Parts: sequence; structure tokens; C-alpha cells
Amino acid sequence: MSDIIKAFPGVRALDGVTLQVQAGEVHCLLGQNGAGKSTLIKVLAGAHRPDSGTVTWRGEEVVLRSPIAAMRLGIATIYQELDLVEGLSVAENVFLGHERTAAGFVIRGRDTRVAAAELLRRLGHEEIDASRAVGELSAAQRQIVSMARALSHDVRLIVMDEPSAALDPDETENLFRIVRELTADGVAVVYISHRLEEIRRIGDRVTVLKNGRSVAGGLAVEETPDREIIALMTGREIEHVFPGRSAPRQSAPTVLRTRGLAREGEFAPLDLELRAGEIVGLAGLVGSGRSEILETIYGARRPSAGEVSVDGRRLRPGSVRSAVAAGLGLAPEERKAQGLFQLESVTRNVSVSTLSRFARLGWLDRRGERVATKAVTRELSLRPDDPDVLIRTLSGGNQQKAVLARWLLRDCRVLLLDEPTRGVDVGARAELYGVIRRLADAGLAVLLVSSELPEVLGLADRVLVLREGRVVDAAPAPDLDENRILDLLMAAHADTTSPGTEPS
Amino acid sequence: MPEKILTSRRRVLFGAAIGAGALVTGCTSNASSSDESAATAPETAGKPGKPVTIGFAGPQADHGWLNAINENATRRAEQYEDVTLEITEGSNDTATQIGQITTLINKKVDVLVILPADGKALTQTGLEAMRAGIPVVNLDRIFNSPQAYRCWIGGDNYGMGLNAGRYIGERLKDVADAKVVELAGLDTLELTKQRTQGFDDALGNYPNITKVARQAAEFTVESGQAKMAQLLQAQKDFDALWNHDDDQGVGALRAIEQAGRDEFVMVGGAGSKSAMEAIQSDDSVLKATVLYPPTMAASAIDLARALGQGKGVSGLAELEIPSSLTLYSAIVTKDNVEDYLPTGFI
Amino acid sequence: MTQQPVSSPRRAVPQSAGRGKLPVRGGPAGGRPPGPLARLGRQADVRNLSLLGVLAILVAVGGVTEPDTFLAGSNLQLVLTQASIIGVVTVGMTFVIAGGGIDLSVGAIVALASVWATTVATQEYGFTGILFTAVVVGVGCGLVNGVLVAYGGMVPFIATLAMLASARGLALQITDGRTQIVTVDAVLDLGAPGAYVLGIPPLVLVFGAVTVLGWLFLNRTTFGRRTLAVGGNAEAARLAGIDIRRQRLYLYVLSGLCCGIAAFLLIVLSGSGQNTNGNLYELDAIAAVIIGGTLLTGGRGTIVGSVLGVLIFTTITNIFALNNLQSDVQQIAKGAIIVAAVLLQHRTLRRTGGV
Repeated sequence: MSDIIKAFPGVRALDGVTLQVQAGEVHCLLGQNGAGKSTLIKVLAGAHRPDSGTVTWRGEEVVLRSPIAAMRLGIATIYQELDLVEGLSVAENVFLGHERTAAGFVIRGRDTRVAAAELLRRLGHEEIDASRAVGELSAAQRQIVSMARALSHDVRLIVMDEPSAALDPDETENLFRIVRELTADGVAVVYISHRLEEIRRIGDRVTVLKNGRSVAGGLAVEETPDREIIALMTGREIEHVFPGRSAPRQSAPTVLRTRGLAREGEFAPLDLELRAGEIVGLAGLVGSGRSEILETIYGARRPSAGEVSVDGRRLRPGSVRSAVAAGLGLAPEERKAQGLFQLESVTRNVSVSTLSRFARLGWLDRRGERVATKAVTRELSLRPDDPDVLIRTLSGGNQQKAVLARWLLRDCRVLLLDEPTRGVDVGARAELYGVIRRLADAGLAVLLVSSELPEVLGLADRVLVLREGRVVDAAPAPDLDENRILDLLMAAHADTTSPGTEPS
Repeated sequence: MPEKILTSRRRVLFGAAIGAGALVTGCTSNASSSDESAATAPETAGKPGKPVTIGFAGPQADHGWLNAINENATRRAEQYEDVTLEITEGSNDTATQIGQITTLINKKVDVLVILPADGKALTQTGLEAMRAGIPVVNLDRIFNSPQAYRCWIGGDNYGMGLNAGRYIGERLKDVADAKVVELAGLDTLELTKQRTQGFDDALGNYPNITKVARQAAEFTVESGQAKMAQLLQAQKDFDALWNHDDDQGVGALRAIEQAGRDEFVMVGGAGSKSAMEAIQSDDSVLKATVLYPPTMAASAIDLARALGQGKGVSGLAELEIPSSLTLYSAIVTKDNVEDYLPTGFI
Repeated sequence: MTQQPVSSPRRAVPQSAGRGKLPVRGGPAGGRPPGPLARLGRQADVRNLSLLGVLAILVAVGGVTEPDTFLAGSNLQLVLTQASIIGVVTVGMTFVIAGGGIDLSVGAIVALASVWATTVATQEYGFTGILFTAVVVGVGCGLVNGVLVAYGGMVPFIATLAMLASARGLALQITDGRTQIVTVDAVLDLGAPGAYVLGIPPLVLVFGAVTVLGWLFLNRTTFGRRTLAVGGNAEAARLAGIDIRRQRLYLYVLSGLCCGIAAFLLIVLSGSGQNTNGNLYELDAIAAVIIGGTLLTGGRGTIVGSVLGVLIFTTITNIFALNNLQSDVQQIAKGAIIVAAVLLQHRTLRRTGGV
């Protein structure tokens, strides 16, 4: 592809991008959110037609009119939001749109299942039953099905949009194995990821997008240091990704306390104390009960035992309103689905939990609302500095700031952060870390959940390591390192992955 | 004030009930219930014959006229010592009605009286009953095939329009360039088309009369008010109005009153009690109504009983009862309203 | 750039953050940047403007085809009067739909309230008795809907469908299929020209009041804001500490209240109560809400749009009646105009870069 330009009303999403992919290589595509990655792969998939520029496929100039046209050429795309039909079986999904038929319309069910099973076997996942409904599968298994779907065509180029986002380290390993096998067969892979270490492990060459332009094309991964890549993406070098810790404050009062808090089947009784000004990290694999603990403390799930108290006062179990009233605030894991009102402005997203403060007899003082929310969003350097802009036009990092602003506006005492940097690009992360540390310094207690160990280690004062719903280790963050935690987690993983049981 | 009107109205009903009850022999039922079923008592009521079980299936009584049908049938049957009436819960759903009629067939009733929700859709069921040896009296909405009923009795929709047209024609025959407006019933029903056809045909005889507007309401007060209000807005001056249905006429009269109009003559349809009372008191534009008598249900019971006992209709030379009876859509005016008032439905 | 906020950590002292007392750097505190605000305003206007455009076209058609009758003041009275009943129902429906629900029972509630309020027994209590009964029955039905949906966990479609069936059944049982004539003069007089205030029928005044109150409620109160929050993203609203069940309950009660008011207006207009009242109001109201620009999935609602939608429908009916066109043609045209209005809206929005 060369000099691709695609403009949408108000935005020039792609402003001259060139991407060259060779057969049999893993070509990584990097860029911050909004750099144009999604648009570019949609052009590749035939979902968008570029305004200008050319696509050359095996030496010939082609026009990708539609997704089907792209697929016929041998270009398959695995989107981030997997596009599977939950009610249909695995086999039916794999061959959706190009069903194996007799006489043109009668679906040959058996033949379909056999062919699908063969593709799954090639991907190393024989255990997925081709006749099961996709809705019953885990996120990782669905990813495999998506991949099988891509392979069901005679594919020469596979585009993967953040394929590891929903995967465990284990499953990611398997993904890498598959990618290597594909490239060994001469298939080219365009791999998009936020995670630099993945790119380092699997990538052959890298193209960096910034503001709709390709700022570096086809750099060999091995010869390019991280710093250079980050610099290319952000346009600046990041010296200290994590802000420095303040001196430990043993004298600070305990704000949040849980006693024997438990949910059957999810996590064992937990005693936790959180002091003002402290950041405590929960480290653990997907399914270790991290998010469940956060949501139970917050009252979004009803505990089967135990209690939560804030400043010594017990919260009503299973009541979000009681938790919010006591000064708890949650930045949920699924920001779009659980945190944001997509149709609304920044102001309205921030003020939603504080409405009664701006109201007299239900009547809103909209000026007061704007003034107060704007003060908070400015404190967090939320961009753009416009309270009326729609929240969904913001980048992930700024959306997360809006969620934080919501709780700051409420004078909240405890922040529960579930994967606060998910979907936030590298440059913006550092800024977000700064914000979180700053809030803690100002006296907030923060409970942090993250799948990224460096994030937990770098940001938290204290870390609890979770395995199977139990705390297996607790220590000040400076006393831990990534290897030690990984050992703890991996040991646990080996324990539990006995034959026949599925990780839940 | 309002209470007074209500009680006086109740008294009228009560009086009518006693009057009718006095004519009926063997009627022991509660006299407090109103009785609009019969202006004349059945001739044969005094001489009980062979016992007859009559099955009756009608549509849901969600409308004044249909309600009157059910009441007429029930009352009439109560007046006969030798008649047992098996009445089903009314339904507008064809499938439900088929089920109900099949049940009646299985119960081996002697005669069936059926007012189908949809005549065409129930033809097959009528055929089955006839094949099972049960004579069917088809009430008003006609089956597709004459084989599906022994006798059909019903109103005359075309005749209704015809008589309404004639009445208006006669009243306006000396008015030059007379204008007429029509407020029709539900346009999706065939009977509405038939009524309009009859009306147009009758008006065709009077060259000085033009029908200037027609709107279709939905047999409801609400729609009657809405459509009439529009008609009154569209036609600033006309001489006569025919409204197909007295139920929607309540709304139409309300709209006329609200618009403060009185330059025209209004003729109603079907023959509700409130319409007849308005005609009697002669203080509104409503001067007449064309009958579509719900007493046909009482007559259907008479016919069913005669069929069950193997009799003919007295007053006719034939031994058998006729295979079809079309009722006359009489025009009720101030002059004869006294006679018809007891048959008016609420 | 990243370091800037870190350099002033004390600024985000949470205790003071919410009160709006913070010293804010640069610019007038919370001042209104005209650009984006005007843009937002314009977007809302565009949506309503296209509806006004449709209305203007209709008025032009009416004015050309029937200049004498259509443009008369009495016809304006007529159109507004005919719009007022379904209009009040539509305002309530706008809230329910903007809050992510649907109320299929509005027509049935209007029917039930109108017959309950016109029974012989109720009429003995005169004007107040009728008004009170209509409103209480409406609110009661709304309460049942709300409890079933909010606390019983029923899907709104099903809960209100059940209410539709049972309210219609109860209305039939009360009336026995008969038309209940109203004899209370105070009620009847309200629908007569004598009761017009400065040439405006009382029904239209009530419609206007409900519209204004509805607009204020949706756009200027915490109730309206929470409605949009629950409709836009119920899970996010719950996690933001909003009592989403109570909010949902209120929405259906509000819709029921509107139905009760509409039932009273219908009694005034038709001088009667009948179990067939309110026939297919649910569809008319939903159609008006949707062409008005409220999202069927919730989260965005516009009272002005809904009312314009109602006026469009009423004007169509009026023009067709004045031109003596029959109901078959009316229905076809109504369908076509729904499609045209929605298409026009989308086109205008796309051109102006809206959603």
C-alpha cells in the first residue's frame, strides 16, 4: 500500500500512509490511539475505500471494493471486537458467508464440522468442539475460532488487531506459536499491539503510525531499541514512566477495611486495610478474582460473607449506593460498557454521580455544574479542554480521566481502579500514572488492579499477589520484582491446570 | 343534576323491563335486569314442545351492538321453557371460535347459532356441523357456502344505506344544490362498502343532491369525534349527514355540539338507545336512524327452536323455515320512535 | 507536558475539588466557549429543523389544496385539539424510551382510565371525581408496570404487553362493551367553545403545559439527567451510584400519569368513556417519539421532537380529511411520510457532521 489517504468528515484519518509487507514476515503496526491503525486495517480489509493512494497485491494494483473482494484475494482480518455470531456453532461461524453446500444452498453439516475441526487442529486447539455454540466459549477460544475463520480462506495475509488483549500469558504463547507456523508457510501477518515486549518477541519488522502518517516504515525490530519506537510513536522520549513514590506514611489513618470478605467460588475471605495516601496493587492472572474483589468491595456484587467498612462505618452489603455514599469510587474494567455514557458530553459524564449537589428540589444549576466539573477536568489535564465535547470522541486516556474526575468531584476517599490503562496508549499512560500518584499524595486511598505486572510494581506502594482467589503474598512493591511474582503465579498455574479442568 | 338524569334513565329501563316481562309467560328470571330483546313476545312461548339444546357462538361483545346481540339471544332463550342455551365466551379470534364451535358439536347440541368473527374463515366449521347433522343458523356475517348453514338471518347493509339515502333524499328534494356528508364506519369491513353503495345508489335518484365528503371512522366514540370534527372543518355548510353507526355517533354529536353547528339534518345507523332518545327529545341535529336490529339474535333463537322441533314459521304457507331471511332496515323517526325504543341497545 | 500536573500535586486535593472553589488556571472560570456549545445547539436544532421542514411542507400542501379551510384559525384549533390527547401520551412515552424502556400499554391505560372515570358511580362525584379517578387509574397502572419492570426484572416489552391485555380486558369488563355517556356538565363544558381561553381550547392548554413541564423535566432536572443516564448505559449508571430501579419505576409511573391526563382529556373531548378508546395509541406515540429523534435504544430524548412528530401526524390526518381522501390513501401516505421524515433527518445530520 502506498500513499493511502482516507478522510472522514472533520478528520483526516489517514494522511499518506505507506505499508509494505513481505510474504512470510510478521509486520508489526504501532501507533497511539487515533494514529490511524484501525482505519488502515479497515482499508486493507476492504471495509473502507481510500480517497486516494494505491494498493498493490503481489505486483498488481488492485482495488479492494468490499470485504468479500479482499477475502477473495487472500486478505483476512481478525478484528479486536471479535465478529462472531454467538448463537451459531463453531463450524458454522468458521464457514459463515462461504458455507460448504450441496446444490448451492443445502448446507453440508457434517462436511462443515469435519473441515472446521481440521482447521482447529492445525491451530493446536483440537479441544474446541466444532459443534458447540460460540456463545459458550471463552474469549481465548473465540479468538481461535476467528483465526480458523481466517484460515478457512486461502489466505496470504492475516491482519490481527490486538489479538493478545483478551489472552492469558499461556494463551498468548500459543498465539505466537500459531503466528510462527503461519509465517513458516509463507503467510504474511500484520500484527497490531500496544505491548512492546510482544512486538519484540514476535515481530520481524515494524511500521509506526502517527497522526495518520507512517513515520517509520519497515524498521527491523531487532535493530530498533524500545526507546526509539516509543519516541517515534509519541514524538518525545519518556524518561521516567512511573512517578516517584512518596515516603511511606505509616501514621495515615486506615480508610478502607475488609474483614473476611468473600464470595463463594470467586475469592476466599479477604482482610484488607487501605490507608489514606496509599496505592495498593492486586496482581494476578485473569480469573484470580481481582476484578471480583474490587466489585464486591464496591457493592456491585453481593458478598457471601464478611464486611466492608469505610472510616470505621460498615457498608450495606451489595449496595453500590451505600459504597458511593461512603466515598468509594470505581473506574471499571470495561470502560465503555460500564463506565461511560457515550451519547453524552464530558461534563455530564463527570457530574453524573454528583447531580444532587448541583440541584435544588431536583432543579439543576447547570452553570454550577459546568464550573465545578471543568475545575476538576482541568486539574487532571483532560484534553480537549472543552466540557461540551462528546465523551466518545476522546482518547482512551482522557476518557479514563473523565471517570476519575467523576469521583474527584464527589470528594471520594477511596478509588478502586480496574485496569486503568487498558486501551490507553503508551504515551498517555505515563500521564495517567502521574495523575494516580498525585491523587494518592493528596490523601486518597487507591486499590489498583492490572494485568500488567510492571504497572502494578511501578505504581503501587504495596502489592498483594492473588492466586485462585487467595492472597499468596503481600509485600511493599520495592521488595518484589517481576520474576518473583511470575514464579508465584506460574506455580499456581501449574498446580491447577490438571487434565480435564478448564481454567475458568 | 347529573344524578337526576341518571336515575330517570334507570327508571325508563326498569319500566321497559316490566312491560316486556308482563307479556312473557313462564319468565321467572330477575325482573330488575333490563330487557331490550323483544317488542313482541314469541307466539309459541305458551306451548312448550320437544326440548331443544341450542349452542350459541358469537364474537367478543366489545361494542354496544354486539353486546345487544348476546343479550337478545340469552333473553329470548330464557323465555322458552323447552330451550337450553349453551353459550360460549365471545371471541374475535377465528381459531378460538373454531375450537368453541367444535366443542359444541362434540357436545351434540341440537341446533347451532353462529355469529362468526369472520364469516369466510368459519365456513369450514359450519360445514362440519352440518355434516354432523346439526343444523346451523348463521347469524348476520354470512358463510362462504350455502352448504354451511341451514338458514341465514341477518341485517341488510345495502338496504341500510338505501333507506338512509331515501330518507335524506325525500327531506331535501325541494332544496336546490343540496349537499350531503357521509361519516362511514370501519373501511376495512365489507359491510361499510355495502352501506356506502346503498347510500350512493339512493342519492342517485335525486339529481339536486351531491355527496360532498366522506370520511371513515372506526365505530368508536373517539374516532367518531375526531373524524366528524375534521368533516365539519372541511365543509362549512351542508344539508344532511349520514353516520353509519350510532356508537361512533356519540362522538360525532359531541363534535357537532363543540363546533356549534345545527344547519343540517343527521341520520344515524344501527339504532342505539341514546340515538333513539335523542330523536325522541328532538333537541339535536339527529332526526332519524336506520335500524340494523340486534333483535335478529332473538329471531335466530326462534328459528333454531323451530328447526329443533321440526316446525315451520307461522304465517307462511311453507312447511319448512326459509333458508335465508334478510331483515328490513326500518327508518326510525320522531313519529315511530316509541315503537322501537325498547329495541334500542346501549 | 506530562510533568506539569505532577509539579502541582496539591491542586487536586479532593476535599475541595467538588465545590468548584478551586483556583482554575486561565480563562473565565467555567465560561462558555461559544464554538462547541453553539455546535451542540445547532445539532439539536438540525434534528428539529428537519421536522419543522416536514411540517412546513405539509402546511404548504394544506394551504395550496384547501386554502379557505386549512389556514383558518378554527382549523388550527382543531389540529391542536386533536393532537393534544396523543401528544400528552407521547410526552410520557418520550421519557420511557429515552430511559431505555418501552410502554406498550399506553392505549389500554387510556381506555381503562377513561371508562373507570365515567362509570355511574364515579360520575356521582362530579368533575373532581372523574379527574381524580382518571389520574389515579393511570398512575396505578404505571406503578404496576414500573414495579414489574424495575423490581420484578421483567422485560419492558413483556410487562407492558401484559398490562395492555389486562387493562383492555378490565375496561371491557367495566363497560360490558357499552358506551358510557358523561352527564357531568362541568366536564362537558370544558370541551365546548365557551371554555376557550383567548381562543385556545383548554385541552390545548393542558397539552402545552405538559409539553413545557416535560421539556423542563428532561433537560433541567436531575430526574431527566438520570433518565438519560439509565437509558444510555444502565450498567454505568448503576456503577455511578444511581438507583436505576427506582428511576425505572418513576418512568413508568410518569407514563401512566400522562395516560391518566390524556384519558381525562379524551373524556372531555368525546363526552364519553368507551373500552375501545386509545386504540393503537402505543404505535402512534412510539412512531412520533422515534421520528422526533429520540433513540429507541435510550440515552437521548427530545420532547420538542416528539411533539413535532405528533403535530406532523395530526396535520397529515387533517389535510387528508379536508381533501376528502379516504382512509386507505391516508394510511399509505402516513407510512411514506414516516420514512421520509426519518430519511430527511439522517441526511441533514450527516451533512452537518452529526451522528
